[in-house]
Amino acid sequence: MIRNALAETALTLAIVFVVVALVLVPLAMTQADPVGVVTTFLFGPFKSIRHIGNIIELATPSMFCGLAVALILRAGMFNLGVEGAFFLGGLGTVAAALILPLPGPWLAPAALLAGAVIGSSVCVVPGVLRARYGASELVSSLMLNFAALFIGLYVLNVWLRDPAAGAMVSFKIPADARLPRLIEGTRIHIGVLLALAACGLGALYLFRTAGGFESRIAGANPSFAAHLGLDVARIGLRAQILGGLIAAFGGGIEMLGLYQRFSWQALPGNGWTGVTVAILARDHPALVIPAALFLGWLQVGGDLVARNFDIPNEAVGLMQALLLVTVTAAALTRNPRLLRAFGARSPGAAR
Amino acid sequence: MIRFEHVSKTYPNGTVALSDVGFSVAAGTIHAICGENGAGKSTLMKILSGLELPSAGSISINGEPVRPDSPRAAAALGIGMVHQHFSLIGSLTVTENILLGQEPRRGPFVDRAKARARVLDLAARYSLDVDPDAKLATLSVAAQQKVEILKALSRDTRILILDEPTAVLSPPETEELFRRLVALRESGLTILFISHKLKEVRALAQQVTTLRAGRVSGDAPMSAISDDEIARLVMGEAGTSAIVRPEPQSAEARITVRGLTLRARDANDRLDAIDLAIRPGEILGIAGVDGSGQRGLVKVLTGACQPDAGMIAWDGKSVAGANTGALRRRGLAHLPADRFRDGGSRRLTLTENALAGAHRNYRFGPLLKPRAMIETTRGIIDRFAVRCPGPLAPLGALSGGNAQKIIAAREFGSNPRFLIVDQPTRGIDVAAANFIQDQIVALARSGCAVLLLSADLDELLRLSTRIVVLYAGRIVASLPNDPELTPARLGPFMLGLEVAA
Amino acid sequence: MIDLLGLVPAILRVSTPLILAGLGVHVSSRAGVLNIGIEGMMLAGALAGVVISALTQNAWLGLVAALLAGAVLAALLSVAIHLLRADLVLSGIALNMAALAGTTLALFALTGDKGISSSLPSLTLPMVRLPLIDDIPILGPLLSGHNVLTYAGLLAVPLVAILVNRTPLGLAMRAVGENPEAAAATGVPVLRVQVTALLISGLFAGAAGAFLSMGYVSWFSQNMTAGRGFIALAADVMGFGYAWGTMAAALLLGTTEAITLSLQGFGVPSELLQAIPYLVPVLAMVIHARRRKRREAH
Repeated sequence: MIRNALAETALTLAIVFVVVALVLVPLAMTQADPVGVVTTFLFGPFKSIRHIGNIIELATPSMFCGLAVALILRAGMFNLGVEGAFFLGGLGTVAAALILPLPGPWLAPAALLAGAVIGSSVCVVPGVLRARYGASELVSSLMLNFAALFIGLYVLNVWLRDPAAGAMVSFKIPADARLPRLIEGTRIHIGVLLALAACGLGALYLFRTAGGFESRIAGANPSFAAHLGLDVARIGLRAQILGGLIAAFGGGIEMLGLYQRFSWQALPGNGWTGVTVAILARDHPALVIPAALFLGWLQVGGDLVARNFDIPNEAVGLMQALLLVTVTAAALTRNPRLLRAFGARSPGAAR
Repeated sequence: MIRFEHVSKTYPNGTVALSDVGFSVAAGTIHAICGENGAGKSTLMKILSGLELPSAGSISINGEPVRPDSPRAAAALGIGMVHQHFSLIGSLTVTENILLGQEPRRGPFVDRAKARARVLDLAARYSLDVDPDAKLATLSVAAQQKVEILKALSRDTRILILDEPTAVLSPPETEELFRRLVALRESGLTILFISHKLKEVRALAQQVTTLRAGRVSGDAPMSAISDDEIARLVMGEAGTSAIVRPEPQSAEARITVRGLTLRARDANDRLDAIDLAIRPGEILGIAGVDGSGQRGLVKVLTGACQPDAGMIAWDGKSVAGANTGALRRRGLAHLPADRFRDGGSRRLTLTENALAGAHRNYRFGPLLKPRAMIETTRGIIDRFAVRCPGPLAPLGALSGGNAQKIIAAREFGSNPRFLIVDQPTRGIDVAAANFIQDQIVALARSGCAVLLLSADLDELLRLSTRIVVLYAGRIVASLPNDPELTPARLGPFMLGLEVAA
Repeated sequence: MIDLLGLVPAILRVSTPLILAGLGVHVSSRAGVLNIGIEGMMLAGALAGVVISALTQNAWLGLVAALLAGAVLAALLSVAIHLLRADLVLSGIALNMAALAGTTLALFALTGDKGISSSLPSLTLPMVRLPLIDDIPILGPLLSGHNVLTYAGLLAVPLVAILVNRTPLGLAMRAVGENPEAAAATGVPVLRVQVTALLISGLFAGAAGAFLSMGYVSWFSQNMTAGRGFIALAADVMGFGYAWGTMAAALLLGTTEAITLSLQGFGVPSELLQAIPYLVPVLAMVIHARRRKRREAH
């Protein structure tokens, strides 16, 4: 049984390796120094403290979004509002930090809380529509992502915009509200600790509390949950509220940790990265951490290659997309022959 | 003439659905195939209609060996099938449904006029009147069935298979259907009619073949066989195992059901003024051919849906409006018929499956106590002799019998006051079945009221205090389980030949 | 306040890609495949049109390339969901990611610029003057002189309606989309029908993309679809399964966008108007779901 689980993990890692090679090698071949491209991509991110810092800094929002998606998927819901929640959470947090007349130490927590509640609406509204009317949470959350973007831009333009700044950006976030740096020479801020704690708590919730257990039952088999007398609609809604809060909180952390002003003019894409992270982590909150670090590593490698060679960092987007398909491809990951090749004992693992 | 020779079917999971089936169907007759649920009738017809391939044996039509491997190939051989669950599309019109996949064309378009004319022509030829332009979803079930029959007849069909065609029909609709079927036979069609309602078989068929446990148990012209004989061939002889029959421990009923009615499209859900009383300590057995309303009864009693009329009371107090969660808090437990769909999750571990529902008892502050849960599950695995890799294996890794033991342990272990067991031993090995039956009896002896639904008459006769027979959503007999009660005695009630209540 | 009549050309211009892409979503949805990757297919079409028209100096070859690019991506989506049996929604998201990254990489490889293709001498598709209508006063200038793809899009609406309602393929698509098991039991080749519908969807997406990069402008820019594929999804949701409904929804959503554009610079909160195309479909979904729920209750 453990052997079969190991085989599945090994197969997933092998798929990941093949996908990265499949994108990287042909692109490297277009350059004069293909070996240099590959080594820069793979090892460059570890060559300096600053780059390692970049990995962690990129992984932080991915952890929040990946955790949010994982909790939602585990409850059997397909809500893609995480992208909009992250955006609106960031905006809401900045707005609250600018508006709330609170003394220094209270400002950041209060702003983050307000941002989380505001931003979560992008996940909550589709959740309510699903629970109450049975409307597809998938389609409505896709739509609301963009609605959140434009409503957010309106708020930015009308209330938060700094007329002194040239571009459409907010006033400066008060220094009191900004999150402290952890390590000199990097941009790693206290948010990464919160992200790690959130993933840990997420794992604890999902696997060690009654509520998390009920959510896994409803996600694994809704008829079974109904047979036990669980309220499947409410459990689904709860997961979407929780996911929305976490993603929006992540957006706030990102803002207070890295930015001086709110400056996003489009959806930042962290929610989609979160989907990839959750899928790579097989919806396990604890595995979200390595998955997010892995994607951060790819991103930094891509940036380094872009800086030193003629290969834009969009190559990493291509890898992410391929990972999303191949890791969920039943024909690959549930293929009994492949699983056996990686040491699985019986076809029991592949159902 | 159709000839089955040594036809066998074994599924990849080892289930033997048919073994060495052989009989002939004469051309231009209505030939009935009778058997209990799981006897192999549907599998045999799926093989003939190209939905499944036999593992061994052969089929010939007019002496030519055939081996249809798709519904299309079967249609080319002149075989059409009317499915129990229609293969129709609700948003298409009647014409579109009947001619789907074989539309007459004019250039790149469907020739609607010709299509419409063809349907009208078909309808006239077989005197099955349908409105060719009606949208299917707006039609009654009986009208939809006509469409399904016309669809099956639309491809030069010589052999028509009907799988339980009357399950969805009201009595007048059934009579209407029978007149049509007789007319079809007279026009030269060969009809294979699957049913477990003996009255209907008697009214229609010239020849009957009975199946039991995947084998042919009888094959005779209708004129040469009595109803009782068919019932015996279908039901088999009574088992020899000892009768248990726990005694009620109180005259007061724990569960009272009065005039329970559920109007539903599917006959399996339909209930018509059901009255029941289940006392503490007794096992009330429900007999009936599949689709007589058992599913509806379970749905209503477990709170999965609310009845259209009638009441359910626990200890004399009505529980109207209570959902599954509320009923479970009162002491309901339910071992469902479909163990992997409702009873558990293949993906979750044995521990999680065994303690789901009771998990809130394993809390320390806000957290669950995994070690205590695993220990409890280990105890269950030992006590129930579950063969498994360990308490953290996924349920999907277990055989049916062992999975059923885990699910039964969960339901039985909640100290229930009212237990519903639905097909508790279907498809599992004898040792596991005996074990689960013993557990049910032990629960009844400890004062639980038990409702037992089973297609296995031996099981019903061995365990039940009383047996109620359902037929078409109604109670047709309520009998004390004394030594005179035998499968042969129950058969006529189950097949709708007799009413005693 | 607003010169509505004067808005007509603008409405048609912004609605054209929505109608084309909306029809693409409509065709695949009928066959039971929700094409979330429509946005990526449009993007690929937009770039392919620019590149091939610049290379061949023939706008029509550019259009053909755009159609093919959309269809190739649709084929890839089909490989992912049918052959690799990956999740439909996740594959659609992945396709959008891949198209965004892939078009940027290709643009950079060809021009050395990640943002815009202005260094490529690409062409535009011609405007069409309708012979008789052009001479009618007032009406003439409104209805005549639009881009050839605008007319193609409007003409495609009845064609798609006929395809779906009147041809054997359309019948098979509707059967597969509503009940694949029943369709298979009748002998309808489910897989082939779905693949065909996806390919048609890809062709429409390619045309929509070509309009963006070759209709009024002659350049491609990074992520130039900017969520229009999702508005097309919305148009299909609001069309309740009819090609005409999809067109009507696309025109409605296009009108709000045109009004937004015309109000820019007047101090009106254009961002709120931009949100409307995404809020209206959600409302429509709720109304639809409520009605269905009430019907089922009876």
